[in-house]
Amino acid sequence: MSSPSLTRKFWGTEFVSPVMLASGTSGFGEELFKLGCLTGAGAVVSKAVTMKPRSGNPPPRLLETPFGLLNSIGLANPGARYVLENILPAVSNLPCPLVINVAGESVQEFADVVSVLKESGVHIGYEINVSCPNVAEGGAAFGVDPEVVFRVSEAVSQVADRPFSVKLTPNGGDMVQAAVAAQQGGASAVTVCNTFLGMMIDWKTGKSVIKRKVAGYTSPALLPLVVARVWQVSNAVSVPVISSGGVSCGQDVLQLLAAGAEMVQVGTRLMRRPCAAGELLDEMKKLTGEQ
Amino acid sequence: MQTAGDYVCTVLSSRQVLPGVFSVEFESPEISSVALPGQFVQVEPSPGVFPVTRRPVTINRLTESGFELLFDVVGRGTQLMARFLPGDMVRVMGPLGKGWDVDQDKTWLLIGGGLGAAGFQFLVDSVRSSGVIIGASGADRVIPVQAQTVHIVTEDGSRGSRGLVTALISEELLARADSIAVCGPVAMMEAVWNTIPEAHRSKVQVSTESRMGCGWGVCDGCSIPVSGGGYRKCCVEGPVFPGDTIDWKRWKEAGL
Ligand SMILES: Cc1cc2nc3c(=O)[nH]c(=O)nc-3n(C[C@H](O)[C@H](O)[C@H](O)COP(=O)(O)OP(=O)(O)OC[C@H]3O[C@@H](n4cnc5c(N)ncnc54)[C@H](O)[C@@H]3O)c2cc1C
Ligand SMILES: Cc1cc2nc3c(=O)[nH]c(=O)nc-3n(C[C@H](O)[C@H](O)[C@H](O)COP(=O)(O)O)c2cc1C
Ligand code: FES
Repeated sequence: MSSPSLTRKFWGTEFVSPVMLASGTSGFGEELFKLGCLTGAGAVVSKAVTMKPRSGNPPPRLLETPFGLLNSIGLANPGARYVLENILPAVSNLPCPLVINVAGESVQEFADVVSVLKESGVHIGYEINVSCPNVAEGGAAFGVDPEVVFRVSEAVSQVADRPFSVKLTPNGGDMVQAAVAAQQGGASAVTVCNTFLGMMIDWKTGKSVIKRKVAGYTSPALLPLVVARVWQVSNAVSVPVISSGGVSCGQDVLQLLAAGAEMVQVGTRLMRRPCAAGELLDEMKKLTGEQ
Repeated sequence: MQTAGDYVCTVLSSRQVLPGVFSVEFESPEISSVALPGQFVQVEPSPGVFPVTRRPVTINRLTESGFELLFDVVGRGTQLMARFLPGDMVRVMGPLGKGWDVDQDKTWLLIGGGLGAAGFQFLVDSVRSSGVIIGASGADRVIPVQAQTVHIVTEDGSRGSRGLVTALISEELLARADSIAVCGPVAMMEAVWNTIPEAHRSKVQVSTESRMGCGWGVCDGCSIPVSGGGYRKCCVEGPVFPGDTIDWKRWKEAGL
């Protein structure tokens, strides 16, 4: 077996490691930087940014399950303008590249957010979150329909002055087709994949504990589901595949790289280990014998 | 400003202080030298991967070489924590959050309901207090707090007077205090807030709890509804807030 190199170069950027910190689990990187936890991080992906500020969903926004975590944050963020003027300048000194996660309620909103944020030179690219509901066209997630994914990708590529990945959804639709559509629309990577729909019901009341009923489920137990999807998608597209989901140790990262991922995101594990990036990289180096 | 860190701390002692309520002392000069009353730590309940989040617990008291936590066993995480033994190495991140606003030289009245009083000792040890009111369901739930004047009230009358904490809140106690610390279940804190007359409300600070993902401000999972709309993050903007910050109605609806 050949041991994979652990540095990366694509999108015209060099990454010290294949580990990316997943959207929504590391803010804009500032807090983890202050904690000294960005060592070993190839890149940070910001929390979702929308055009207008969003205060987010009513609590409880998190629910721990026996083997994972349900989240219903509701894309809480201060809006693209505020991010441009107040947050990005404050994170211009991060020790690793920053990618901005973009969400929207219409195809146009994704392009609008990118148009606002491109005034900043702080971030290297975008991750387009097509798992959110397409409110303008019926409310189903953009990502379930390859034709809509194509339109989002095309709209973003018309305004983006730097690379972007389209983060796909596992909740309905054919992810391989969606990935191909994203690439055809101009995406320079695809992220596989966003959270899995989940729900926990209090049997005494018969009601979902999370007010918005369904939520996003993440868990180390999702590893094989993500490995399968990364493997399928990477066989179908030529752009880099970024995996997201299921990672809790260095071996998981190596497995996802073997499945075809170029970069591997870690999310929920950061709740236990804010310095997970460095820990994962050390574990990988030990396993592969790389110094 | 003090800075938090993630440390592997040695358990110095662990004992049951009340049925199901444990006191665990950790060695950590790093955390105790910068901790302020009302701040909390994030404890890894197990060495493995599950549960996937840590458990937030308020620092109850500083000790010679570290700090003490007092916690109630309510579920899987705290069950694991109750099994900590002296000598165990446990990962603890802290100190976290914004504690009691103790800037000024003020006299404090402390009002705690149930486990809400876990954390009071640190405040009592740091400020001048005119009194501590502790309410509990029964004698076996009264959190021990060492202070000059402690008023105890239990719902079943098994210790102190019978009733709820609100019954002990008097104009005289409120008038003597410059600051009022309230901590307990949401319904208790709301009842206390409603009992305190308008004139004294600006003195009130409340210590809140919320389900946390990280505890260090990155996940937006711990948001608490505030008056006038919107949310504040319990973990970094709190857990202690001025009493008038909280939107009690929306907070109760969360059903936490
Ligand atoms: C800032 C802060 C300080 C706290 N200080 C203390 C303290 O000093 N003493 C003490 O006994 N308890 C304290 N708590 C509550 C304590 O964190 C919970 O009792 C504990 O997390 C329960 O975990 P579990 O796995 O045993 O329970 P489970 O019910 O199995 O937990 C399931 C999930 O819900 C979360 N959860 C459950 N109850 C609470 C709660 N009341 N608040 C927040 N999250 C909760 C858990 O963290 C976990 O993610 C504090 C909470 C916060 C937010
Ligand atoms: C609290 C929380 C918030 C998240 N917020 C976002 C978000 O804003 N945008 C997004 O694309 N994904 C979001 N995600 C999904 C993560 O980026 C990641 O895809 C997912 O957690 C899977 O990885 P994991 O198994 O390592 O956690 C969030 C996940 C969590 C746990
Ligand atoms: S618990 Fe993550 S932001 Fe407060």
